[in-house]
Amino acid sequence: MLEIKNLHVEVAGTEILRGLNLTIGAGETHAIMGPNGSGKSTLSHVLAGREGYTVTAGSVTFNGKSLLDLEPEERAGEGVFLAFQYPIEIPGVNNVYMLKAALNGIRSYRGEKELSAVEFLKVVKARVKAIGLDDSLLNRPVNSGFSGGEKKRNEIFQMSVLEPRLAILDETDSGLDIDALKTVSEGVNALRDGKRSFMVITHYQRLLDYIVPDHVHVLAKGRIIKSGPKELALELEARGYDWLLEEAAA
Amino acid sequence: MAALAMVAGAALAALEQAPDSTRSQRLGALRLAAAARVKEEGLPSVANEHWKYTNVSRLGERALRSATAGDGASVSAASFAALELSTDSALRVVLVNGCVRDDLGAGGSLPQGLRVRSMAALQEQDPERLATLLDTDVEAGSTFQALNTALLGDGVVIEVDHNVSLREPLHLVMLGTGDDLLRSPRVLVHMGRNSELRLIEEYVSLDAASGLTNSVCEVRLAVGATLFHHRLANESAASSHIGRVAVEVDEQGQYVSDSLAFGGELTRVDIDVNLVGRGARCRLNGLFVADGQQHVDHHTRIEHRVGDTHSAELYRGILDGRSRGVFNGRVLVARDAQKITAQQASNNLLLSRLAEIDTKPELEIYADDVSCAHGATVGELDAAALFYLRSRGVGAADARALLTYAFAQKIVDEIPLPGVRRWLETRFLGHTRYSQLLSALESL
Repeated sequence: MLEIKNLHVEVAGTEILRGLNLTIGAGETHAIMGPNGSGKSTLSHVLAGREGYTVTAGSVTFNGKSLLDLEPEERAGEGVFLAFQYPIEIPGVNNVYMLKAALNGIRSYRGEKELSAVEFLKVVKARVKAIGLDDSLLNRPVNSGFSGGEKKRNEIFQMSVLEPRLAILDETDSGLDIDALKTVSEGVNALRDGKRSFMVITHYQRLLDYIVPDHVHVLAKGRIIKSGPKELALELEARGYDWLLEEAAA
Repeated sequence: MAALAMVAGAALAALEQAPDSTRSQRLGALRLAAAARVKEEGLPSVANEHWKYTNVSRLGERALRSATAGDGASVSAASFAALELSTDSALRVVLVNGCVRDDLGAGGSLPQGLRVRSMAALQEQDPERLATLLDTDVEAGSTFQALNTALLGDGVVIEVDHNVSLREPLHLVMLGTGDDLLRSPRVLVHMGRNSELRLIEEYVSLDAASGLTNSVCEVRLAVGATLFHHRLANESAASSHIGRVAVEVDEQGQYVSDSLAFGGELTRVDIDVNLVGRGARCRLNGLFVADGQQHVDHHTRIEHRVGDTHSAELYRGILDGRSRGVFNGRVLVARDAQKITAQQASNNLLLSRLAEIDTKPELEIYADDVSCAHGATVGELDAAALFYLRSRGVGAADARALLTYAFAQKIVDEIPLPGVRRWLETRFLGHTRYSQLLSALESL
């Protein structure tokens, strides 16, 4: 589904990703862990198409298409969704309206008929129920005045409505207390249907107790230095990253 | 000589020839003095600090004719009904080219404690009363105000009795029609002690009306009175609009205003508020939207004459094409007017590289125990918000439109005028599905 080959990315003249390789198959969940400054957020932003990142080498293929040639909204149309580490507050834009514009944008990209307000609200209602979201969040401006936990829940809610093929969760656990972490994880797990793929970026093993990955990768200094089964996360929790960095340097 | 000054000259000549007996001495003298001022000073030039960014010389060159009641005679109930107005209010007063048209109003009797009279009728019936209600300072405002006074024809006198709170808003529809006309409506609002009113003053055009609307609105709020004043300038592309609102707020009174400017070739609105009694406060909000070659200028002036008075101001401008916007917010704090608060913000969005905004706060403070803050921003759309929307699947153009609409929302959110929201939606989003979805959500 997603194939990243030898990806090199610069930000403001500094190379952040230095030959990253990663393949995620359909229905798989991959965790990306690594120390601060290793390039985790850069990876998520480059995949979503944020400006300010220069790809100097390598390729990203998503379901046979070159992702890097597409605009951010086209990537969403192809089924890529990024759950932001810091969801943006947009005062004055209603949460549900944005979501309707997004869903219809994606549908029209795929040549599907746009949903009417009534059809759309039916979808929303069902999802709100499934995610266990407080429906007072619906009628508010996007993330505006939301608590940290509400913002993350809102990301997962949006994901559940947009039904991406690949969801990238960028430190979705940061700033969440244990209850919020559980709710968010349940929301994510409800969307794991064997076809949808997930890239879960996190600092902590804790999240992976709830969203159990198929594979764990360690990202350091702009490349994957170690990959393994889910147990690798436990080992990292116990031993930290230093041993791996030393191993990689040797 | 500029054509507008010629109009004033003609008015002066007519006034000089009119027999004294047909009009009050005071009113006649006031109009004569106003006409003389216009003739002598002419229109303000860009050398005048307050008109530095707004060149009205083009207006002065036009061969305008002062409108009379006959100029709007062709406006029928059917053509009026076809207009898209900001709201459907049960209390509606319609002026065509500045002259009251009873047949287009909402009819029926007014609620108790509210009096709305035609100024032309009052000139006939009780000119002395009118002279006491009008601002008699001929030097007040620019020569545009003097021109309005010189040409004083019709307009509206609104009086609310003590302790009367009106639930239903009063909607003044100022309709312009016809070519190359100078329209000079005048509005007087007198609010009795502890009274409350919501007033909508809406300027619109029928078809491609052209010319200049030069309006003056004078507001006096007695102790404890509150006026919500929504002013909407949305005239045709071939029209220009000069408006002045002069307000005096007594003790514990409150003046809450929104000035919206969307249409017209050239728009200049001056809002002048004097807080004269302790506990008096005002909130001035504004939104202007311009494109093409449009020019929109707001000048506000708030004078804190005594202590414990409070003002807050928020103006937002959205400029596209080669349009130009001006915001000048002047705040004066009189000597020893202590414990006052004054806040001012001007936020502007430039959607094109050729659009321009001149925004300027002016603070003159002669007291030491005051809290005054001001800030101005000029920017483009927030790149992070734009990326967020696009990453969700919203196309780039739609995302820009949505953020622009949201910028305007901040001002219109609290305004109970559904037509304004529809207008902005259509203007920026190209449809009205936003409000449709919100109402569907509410019924969910």
